[in-house]
Amino acid sequence: MRLGPVGKGLRVLVAVVGIGLLINGSVRASDDAWPFGPMSQYAMSVPDDAKIDYTRISAVTDAGTTVDVPLNIEGAGVARAEIEARTGEIVKDPSLLQQVADGWARKHPDKPKYVKLELIRDTTQLVKGRVEGPPTSQVLATWEVRP
Amino acid sequence: MRLVNWFTPAIALGRIAWLRTVLYLFVILDMHAFVRDTRDKGEHPDLYQPLLLERLLHLPTPSVANTTALYIVLIVACLIGATNYFPRIAGWIVAPAFTWWVLIGMSDGKVDHDHLALVIALWVLPTVGGARRGRASYGDQTRSEAAGWAIRCIQICVIATYFLSSVAKLRSAGWALTWPGSAVLTWAIVRRPHPVGEWLLHYPWVLHVMQWVGIIGEFCSPVILWLKGRWQLFGALFFLGFHAANTAILLIHFLPTVVCWLAFAPLERIVPWFQARRSDHSGETEHEAEEGREAQQQAGA
Repeated sequence: MRLGPVGKGLRVLVAVVGIGLLINGSVRASDDAWPFGPMSQYAMSVPDDAKIDYTRISAVTDAGTTVDVPLNIEGAGVARAEIEARTGEIVKDPSLLQQVADGWARKHPDKPKYVKLELIRDTTQLVKGRVEGPPTSQVLATWEVRP
Repeated sequence: MRLVNWFTPAIALGRIAWLRTVLYLFVILDMHAFVRDTRDKGEHPDLYQPLLLERLLHLPTPSVANTTALYIVLIVACLIGATNYFPRIAGWIVAPAFTWWVLIGMSDGKVDHDHLALVIALWVLPTVGGARRGRASYGDQTRSEAAGWAIRCIQICVIATYFLSSVAKLRSAGWALTWPGSAVLTWAIVRRPHPVGEWLLHYPWVLHVMQWVGIIGEFCSPVILWLKGRWQLFGALFFLGFHAANTAILLIHFLPTVVCWLAFAPLERIVPWFQARRSDHSGETEHEAEEGREAQQQAGA
């Protein structure tokens, strides 16, 4: 089955415009332009003496234990990437951490509740491209959970 | 004209039928395994940061009502589309609905890059018409330029995912080739620690070799669009191996892109191959029966 000139012309035009959008996205746009944004996963050049940051949330529970909050959908309902993308906002307004506690409590009603949350940044130092020593930790934000 | 025709090769409609079944079922898997937090976002829209498309189209903020409706519509339309009955109506529902589903899933400050080929595939599949419905469509050998265009679009998007990754690596370094010699894989492993990766941390040179192989492979990937037969298969296997390595080292699978590699496979040959095998098989038994009779006659002689 062959296409008519209009059907063929339209299709080729759509394909060419699509390729144009993809190239434009890769050359100048950001992730905001999804699905035509740049394919920037793991695209950065990390220097050999880089400090590698890893953000996590530590929780004190009503059972008196200190635990790392599982940052995924099944855990507290929020992914680590989301927390990392919004670290600046959370530092400015630690009340954003409330929803992490709420998410955990809703998904795990039978487990100890979080009473205090700390947003912590672990930093690993690279020396000549190799990991040097254990990471150092810094508390970025603290939030007393509202019951 | 040759350039124009490159976009519309005549390909058997059977391949479209197979892709519909696999991709619409994959969407259901995707909604539960990969982009699976869309309904959670409906419950907690506080972290919602609409992406460009959502702002342009004035899409409503996710809510329990609209994400639940989206979920039900998608499941029903995917199940219908996968049967190849009413594939175009179902397909025109799935394409915008799943695009919106993924948009919501990625509107939290983090965008994944593995959905380009799948989303575009869903938009091009319903453009293909066909006379046969349901089971009969899988073996349809009618070659169609409309089918070829849809297949070509999916192929281009699969390849673009790799090629544009290499472009992004050059761009992030200010258009310089520093990525393959950098400590990016070390960085990635430190942030996603697990046994295979941690063992590799002791051998940075191995990670550098992998980075070079990766970026050269990505940069050369468009060649696959022009390769044929066995050579194209080698190209596809290279990238499937690439994904296997990524999964082992970084726990990043890219399955929504991997499944779209099927657009390169001659799926339309499955039904004829299966029929030929069956008729060969029955042919063989006839042949054996004949030999048996001859043997009996000889024994009787």
